[in-house]
Amino acid sequence: MRAVLLLLFSTILAFAGDSFITKAHARIVPKIMALDTSLTSKSDPSKKNFAVVYDSNQKSEAQSIADEINKIYNGKVAALYFSAIPVSANELFERKDIAFVYVVHNCNPKILEKIAAWSIENTVPAFSYDVADLEYGILGSIAIERSTIIYVNKKTLKKGKFHFDETLYHIARFIE
Amino acid sequence: MNYFKNARLSTKLFLLLSMVTFIIFGTITLVTFSIVRDLTLNSQKEKALLLIDTVSPTVSLSLFLGLNDLGSKLSSITHREEVIALQIIDLKGKVLLNYRQHIPAEPYQTINVTEDLVEPSTLKPIGSITLTYSGEEFTKTMNRFYTLYGWISISVFSILWLMILWINRLLLPITLIARKVRNYKPGTKITFDLPFTQREFTHIVHSFESMQESVIAYSDEIESINKNLEIKIAEQTHKATQHLYYDPLTSLPNRIKLQEDLLRQPTNTVAILNIDDFKEINDFFGIDAGDWLLTQIASWFHELKLNPYRIGGDEFAFRSHDGHSPAQFQHDIESLLSSLNEKLFMISDETVHVRATVGIAIDSTKPLIHADIALNKARSAKQLYSTYDQFEGIEQQYKNNIAMSAQIRQALVEHRIVCQYQPIISCENGKIEKFETLVRIQNEDGSLIAPCEFLPIAQKTKLYHQITQEVIYQACRLFMGRHEQFSVNLSGSDILDQRTVTTIENILRQTGTADRIIFEILESEGIENFEEVALFITRMKGLGAKFAIDDFGTGYSNFENILKLNVDILKIDGSLIKSIDQNPRNRIVVEAIVHFAHKIGIDTVAEFVSSEEILRHVEDLGITYAQGFHTGKPQFLNQQLM
Repeated sequence: MRAVLLLLFSTILAFAGDSFITKAHARIVPKIMALDTSLTSKSDPSKKNFAVVYDSNQKSEAQSIADEINKIYNGKVAALYFSAIPVSANELFERKDIAFVYVVHNCNPKILEKIAAWSIENTVPAFSYDVADLEYGILGSIAIERSTIIYVNKKTLKKGKFHFDETLYHIARFIE
Repeated sequence: MNYFKNARLSTKLFLLLSMVTFIIFGTITLVTFSIVRDLTLNSQKEKALLLIDTVSPTVSLSLFLGLNDLGSKLSSITHREEVIALQIIDLKGKVLLNYRQHIPAEPYQTINVTEDLVEPSTLKPIGSITLTYSGEEFTKTMNRFYTLYGWISISVFSILWLMILWINRLLLPITLIARKVRNYKPGTKITFDLPFTQREFTHIVHSFESMQESVIAYSDEIESINKNLEIKIAEQTHKATQHLYYDPLTSLPNRIKLQEDLLRQPTNTVAILNIDDFKEINDFFGIDAGDWLLTQIASWFHELKLNPYRIGGDEFAFRSHDGHSPAQFQHDIESLLSSLNEKLFMISDETVHVRATVGIAIDSTKPLIHADIALNKARSAKQLYSTYDQFEGIEQQYKNNIAMSAQIRQALVEHRIVCQYQPIISCENGKIEKFETLVRIQNEDGSLIAPCEFLPIAQKTKLYHQITQEVIYQACRLFMGRHEQFSVNLSGSDILDQRTVTTIENILRQTGTADRIIFEILESEGIENFEEVALFITRMKGLGAKFAIDDFGTGYSNFENILKLNVDILKIDGSLIKSIDQNPRNRIVVEAIVHFAHKIGIDTVAEFVSSEEILRHVEDLGITYAQGFHTGKPQFLNQQLM
């Protein structure tokens, strides 16, 4: 019983922690998209798609995150018009209208690698929920600890020829 | 302002230099201070901005991303001592960070720098960062500047002071020269011992020394000229004194000298001697001969030791000297006149006998005036000499005469010469046929002055002719409107005065009264100036006028002359008429005159008929007309016919 309560508590705590981080990410990641100079330098006024990518049965979570982002930004961050949409990993590879990728929690490592490869190939920045995902070639993640730290995969940054506002590099922590 | 104008040259230079220095130094100080202050302040601001710039991008990004790590982002600058405070505010004014490091120990000035925080991509403002920077360095820099300028000021004003001392020293020779020259007098020599000298002052000294030499030379020359002038002036003064006080002809002291000599004593005894008929000598022998005679007389007076003065053409004066009594002086004058009576003078080989009249004033305060009065008195009385007597009242008479003369002039100007007319009646029918015009002066109060009071004075003052002309004018104007005859008195001088004669002639022509006017002439006048009177009578008779001899019977009548004058009427003198009823002798004389008149066919007028008794006698004697208070008093007439 005691073990059950502990598990339940830790589950509730974990869920609450995930929700806090997800909300924090929903606030920060679109702004990182706005720092992508390849997007902001274009005078294209068309709406950009912010893809919340999920794997297998995580569509509701992705939808929830996308809704949260749309709710916060109402389709505009800085001077950039965008729309957050849930997109499955397989669908992502087929689409050409994606401007930024955010990978939800607990995604399959192989899928993560594919997403990373697609990201580099199409020069579409991809950030993920978990900092550990950077090992699979994902460009960046945000750690919410005592302070908020943005992690950037230096190798992927070079490979994908991504260009962000210089100031991002001042505050980001690079991982080799 | 006046003080500056009159100030010494060194003071002026001092003030000018001080003023220029103050202005230049003050301007430079202000400009430098302003530049240094701005530069220092800007430098500190730049530093503050630089600090902000180092953190601004990351802070902006953190703020953009909503990262709550502003403190760690600012840690790179907040550890610096010069950062006093830091504040980050979002667009809504919410203070996101308020950092204050410490309170400065000294109250230095602080510098606040604010910069906007912008979105990294769009550069839209998302807040602001304000850095409060320490002004310690600024204050220290400015203090260093003040210290530096303090020393510069001391140096500049020390240099200025030294310059002033130098100017004073430079101008000292001018002061020394001025002191020496201040009491310079022409003829004296000044030496200049200057302690040091500039070339310009040497030139001034040399120039002044050369001027001194010239002045000394000129001074000597002027002194010499001055001495010569003084001698000339003394000579001229002597000549002028001689000319002023001495008669050039006789070399005797003159009237001015006499007057000055008389002033030495309060009273003097003086005699004035006038040579009788000297004009005749001048006219007969000539002026040069007259002058020669005067010289001889003066010389003779001098020989007599009478100390004579020549005070006029033919007048000499003598002054009684101290110790002489008036009686002695009078005796000396009598002796002089006696000697003169026997003395003969020579003119052009001819002997001339000189007579003189003397007036003496004894112990008089106005000796010349009184002696002159006495001289006139002696002449009038035909005496050899006369002595002034104040109790005779001659001075008062002169005063009265002068006053009367003024009164006559005033009366002529103000038309107060008036005429009264005395009726002359016919003894045959008792009717008034003629009037005698009698002149009066009417006073301002209406009273009348009789002619005997003013006519003698008028004759002396040459106003007589104007009175005559006025009387004839008034009478003729009056009788223009009447039918009677009228008579007017004329003097010999009137007849001799051509202007009066012409005026009379014009008046007669203008008024048309020539056939009714009778001119009365005194018997004596007719005889004395026979030819002129006869000529006048002829001229006036040509116009129709008649002539009467006035006061006939009193003088030494020359019947032949009366006949020659061709007069129309004889007016028998009143002195014969007024006692005709009592004095048989007078009656005989009057009878003779009337008989004479009848014989030559002229009328007679009896004057002074003052009673009925006299009138009866006049009528009995066959006199044609009667005039007197009994027959009619003098009265004013108007132009209406009676």
